[in-house]
Amino acid sequence: MTYLEREPAAPKAWQDEMQVTNRYTYGVAGERFFRAIKDESKILGTRCNNCEHTYVPASLFCERCLDHLDEWIDVGTTGEIVTFTHLYVDYDGSPLLEPETIAFIKFGDGGIIHRIESNESQQIEIGMSARAVFKSKTERAGSILDILHFELMTS
Amino acid sequence: MSDRVAIIGIGWSGFRPVTPEYSYKELMYEAARRAYSDAGVDPRRDIESFVTVAEDFHEGTSIFDEYTPDQLGAVLKPMHTITGDGLHGLATAYMLIKTGQFSLVAVEGHSKASNLLTPDGVTAYAQDPVLNRPLRMNTHFVGGMEMNRYLYESGSTQEQCAQVVVKNRSNALENPSAPFGADLSVEDILSGPPLSWPLGVRETAEHADGAIVMVLASEEKAKVLSETPVWILGAGWSNDSPGLENRDWSSANYTKNAAKMAYRQAGIYHPYQTIDFAEVSDIYAYKELQSLEELGFFQFGEAGLVTEEGLTHKDGDFPVNVSGGCLGMGNLLDANGLARALEIVLQLRGTAGPRQLEGINVGLAHSWRGVPTASGAVMIMSN
Repeated sequence: MTYLEREPAAPKAWQDEMQVTNRYTYGVAGERFFRAIKDESKILGTRCNNCEHTYVPASLFCERCLDHLDEWIDVGTTGEIVTFTHLYVDYDGSPLLEPETIAFIKFGDGGIIHRIESNESQQIEIGMSARAVFKSKTERAGSILDILHFELMTS
Repeated sequence: MSDRVAIIGIGWSGFRPVTPEYSYKELMYEAARRAYSDAGVDPRRDIESFVTVAEDFHEGTSIFDEYTPDQLGAVLKPMHTITGDGLHGLATAYMLIKTGQFSLVAVEGHSKASNLLTPDGVTAYAQDPVLNRPLRMNTHFVGGMEMNRYLYESGSTQEQCAQVVVKNRSNALENPSAPFGADLSVEDILSGPPLSWPLGVRETAEHADGAIVMVLASEEKAKVLSETPVWILGAGWSNDSPGLENRDWSSANYTKNAAKMAYRQAGIYHPYQTIDFAEVSDIYAYKELQSLEELGFFQFGEAGLVTEEGLTHKDGDFPVNVSGGCLGMGNLLDANGLARALEIVLQLRGTAGPRQLEGINVGLAHSWRGVPTASGAVMIMSN
């Protein structure tokens, strides 16, 4: 039976939604990483000396050699823009009237994905430096949102 | 150990942007009946094991693998579901037969994307929950950032990406199963709305519904059952680190490694010389260019140039996505890899109708699971 042959008033679908709520444990490395952002305004990585690789965000293990990592490094708060995009759709797929600019900013051999301060976003180019702007200490809760956004270093 | 493995039956239902009259089970049933009829087998009597690919959140049903046996004729038979792409399913069926324990195995993949009313919520829930998801960014940002870095490093252009859309949607006009055929120009594509700049809405495959079933057989069975077996020469798959912070933003190393694995099995050292045509992932247009380079057909930065020159056109030296690809046939979620493989089988059988390629012996199917994944699979087939 094709769609056109169907009785238009016939019931044809049931609608439902899934209730899903999760808790995500930061883990040993994640807890120290986010605590450093919250309490010290610092971005930390962990170093694998076998692979000569610095993981940012910090990881408890090296994904290359699977060694346990315990050498912690402060990688600063200014990094290089590896790539970026001007995003025209919101989280739920609805259109954004003003696009938001998202970038991957390199720290160590990894980096941070975050928003770029909106007034500057049209000047962005790959290779520019960008600095993390933190929320005031009283507003921080120990998450990636403790970084408000990154601002371009245009000088 | 059995020797070679062949695809001896294909069946599909679709592909259409919406299928309001059919349930997902009926789509699967229709594709399965056609595949079993094509292979000349009775599923209840002959098929020894079944593999499906599906992702619970796409289906809207938890533990979805429990819902697959009945419509395929697999009740009370060995069956399992993989949360991967259709090519992962095909590779699994290939291995099952290679064990020597099974001689006939069926593989299924489908999409009922039109029933997924919040698809952006599903891809958002695939982002890292503590590093990325709290920022509440639509997951297309991953495609936009990858395209930007790929263009920056490779020297490929937005015009070349648009040319991929023009080619594939034009190819789809000759594929009666492809719903997104259109005669467009590069300007039509580039003047469309941005999605995640430099990525545009018109360079992004729209979702479609459908189901695909394939029947695989051992060499012994294939020779009895089929006059046009399509032999699997090699299968490979690979995953990069899931972390967006740990990946290479211009290359798709997972595709490179998947191809290496498949080429090693097939004994292929010069892919461009040995392989006659390919179907590769074009969920985003730039992905076709990037994938063709990672698969070793062209040097880094070359795929855009040869696309402009018409080399990958259906009349060119190396046709790519003659089916229309995902841009022409639709993004079929977990079934994308099976759709790519389906075109390889139709072409190698010589039954592709008006879009039939001449003088072809070896074809390659490639798939990628879409953002935010770093997961690729490759299968090489010959007639």
